[in-house]
Amino acid sequence: MTDKQKKKKAKKEVIITGFGGQGIIMAGRIIGMSAALGDHMHSVFTQSYGPESRGGACSAQVIISDAQIHYPYVMRPDILICMSQGGYDKFISEIKQEGILLIERDLVRPGALKRNFFSIPATRMAEDLGRKMMANIIMVGFCVSVTKVISKDAALDSVAKSVPKGTEEVNIRAFNKGYDYGLAILKGRGKKAAGQTGVTG
Amino acid sequence: MNNYNVILMLCNWGAHSAYQTLQDTGAEIPPEISMVRIPCTGRISKSLLFKAFEMGADGVALVGCEPGTCRYGSGTAAAIENTGDMREILDLLGLGKDRLRLATFLPDDSEPLLQFLKDFCSEIRALGKSPVKHVKAAKPEPATKKALSDIVSSHDVFACQDCGKCTSACPLTLAGKQFSPRALAGSIIAGDIDSPEVQDDIWACLTCGLCYDRCPSAVNFPEFIRDLRHFSKQRNLDGHEAHGGFFQSLMRAMTSSGLKARRWDWLPDNIRIDNESKILFFGGCAPYFDIFFRSHLGVETCNIITDSLRLLNFFDIRPALLQDERCCGHDLLWSGDKDNFLKLARLNVDLIHSLGVEEVVTACPECYRTLVHDYNEYGVKLNCKVTHIYDLLETEIDKGAVDFKKIDKKLTFQDPCRLSRFEQREDLPRMLLKRLKPGGFQEMSDKGSAAICCGNSAWTGCDSFSKALQVKRLRQAKETGSNLLVTACPKCQIHLQCAMEDPFLGEELKMEMMDLTGLLAKTIYWE
Repeated sequence: MTDKQKKKKAKKEVIITGFGGQGIIMAGRIIGMSAALGDHMHSVFTQSYGPESRGGACSAQVIISDAQIHYPYVMRPDILICMSQGGYDKFISEIKQEGILLIERDLVRPGALKRNFFSIPATRMAEDLGRKMMANIIMVGFCVSVTKVISKDAALDSVAKSVPKGTEEVNIRAFNKGYDYGLAILKGRGKKAAGQTGVTG
Repeated sequence: MNNYNVILMLCNWGAHSAYQTLQDTGAEIPPEISMVRIPCTGRISKSLLFKAFEMGADGVALVGCEPGTCRYGSGTAAAIENTGDMREILDLLGLGKDRLRLATFLPDDSEPLLQFLKDFCSEIRALGKSPVKHVKAAKPEPATKKALSDIVSSHDVFACQDCGKCTSACPLTLAGKQFSPRALAGSIIAGDIDSPEVQDDIWACLTCGLCYDRCPSAVNFPEFIRDLRHFSKQRNLDGHEAHGGFFQSLMRAMTSSGLKARRWDWLPDNIRIDNESKILFFGGCAPYFDIFFRSHLGVETCNIITDSLRLLNFFDIRPALLQDERCCGHDLLWSGDKDNFLKLARLNVDLIHSLGVEEVVTACPECYRTLVHDYNEYGVKLNCKVTHIYDLLETEIDKGAVDFKKIDKKLTFQDPCRLSRFEQREDLPRMLLKRLKPGGFQEMSDKGSAAICCGNSAWTGCDSFSKALQVKRLRQAKETGSNLLVTACPKCQIHLQCAMEDPFLGEELKMEMMDLTGLLAKTIYWE
């Protein structure tokens, strides 16, 4: 692979969508911040303003690149994270063919979708950890392990800096929960591909 | 001067005549042979066969009558079974099965007998001296009043309020035995340790810990009993060992540092092991149990080990194994042999440290309790983390992406005392049980830290009351309407299986049993 191709590959566009109040904006901000501050990449973060903050559909857009970013809006996302059915319906047609789709398992029904996707019961996991509002952090952790769009260390650092004081520890636990879940899913898919779904022998 | 020691156990009936002919004709019987006349080879149990090896014999020949010529009919058949099992145990232990031989001769077979003895002795010489060094019992120490009162005060037994909650909770008492922890504590405080009733009670206690659980003064009765047993053993009093003391003998033999065990030869090939791994799997004594109990119980406790290893492999963990793994020493510690427990502890800890592992994983609640708690308490520090496999599995399963197949069984659960009560982890197996997808799960009326013992611990003091309480426990299991009894300790399986073999109640009590690791391994899959 030549350097030029590498550079071209290194641009990732991310859309996170869900209800207002789910922490969509914060999740986007954490991803962008980690890329810029932790991984020393360029990143741009935009959010859609409007009635969203009162409970409607809402989205955050992040572009991460190792070169300067000249246009701040996402054209077609490489990574689409959906935490609500409305957001899913609105953006599903825009994701790139080879893009990665992540959904919140209990809130999004993908129907007869003919593409590969990853799902996680983030809200339920957050409830188990004691705070429903941490679903976004779990989703960020999940996104980091599945897509590797930013490094884990950078993400952990930004999570700790972004969440309310005093909740760092439990949020880091939430992040790791999502991260481990992603790793487990990848491992499970690898095992399945190798034909080892159960205990051998 | 030869220093070999070969024991010839010779049946009184047929074979002894042949031997006598050799003596009468002044034949050259190899000088290392010491002959013991026995009534019948069938009466030489596995524990007696092993006792000779524990005491340093280099070889044992069990010589009797040919099948069909046995004076008592079935003696030779029993001897064939016993020696067969024993040879396998010797192999596992690293002594080698060739050190034990069974041979049969007719009364006039003196020449063949002589040839056999010569051949056997030269074989033993080729094998070399036995690596087992006989641990001679220390000189009995006189029972000083002070030593006894030290034990009493170190457990603060004086705090006993005489309330009787221990006795009303004790499963042995409730099974009808004349047994009272409170009364026993009172007798010991009064200085009475030698009366037969007190001695009987010291060895009858299950050390299950229910009384400690209930005691308002927090007198740790099981540990008090443990120390009293040690006190009694120091004075060479009888330890009421079950199974002829076989397991205690086996563990004492393992204290010989020259012994190179071959514990893992039987493992299936498809289990992946990595001896460079930072995680060590500590197996426990299940392989010995399966051979020892094969003919009368047919338990398969080795499955706990293979299923645990398979579950680790399932999560891509390839653990190291300790080739020379010794028994953790739990049963010696709890049957009064602290000195040999310490020897085993040091051997194991040195071996574990030499591997440089960071974490020891075990599936046996007794090994877990002993490694995590007793080694440290007795000053043998283990410099790595000890994890029960349930903890590890719970963490891995909690990460997600795995699920469990449905099981068409209704489950109930037998708590292991060492995990549920001593280490207060009754929630741990239940977290895993909740993840399973059975046809139903129903707890028994006594559960968790209040659960009833499987009937015995540390291979000592088994009697009809142990059986009575096992019957009670199995009836409780039946009452739940379940058809699969899940266990979490190899000994629970052995003891409850024993009760199911009862000729009168067996049919009523029979119930399928399975270890939790087996159930997990059978049903887990990647989503």
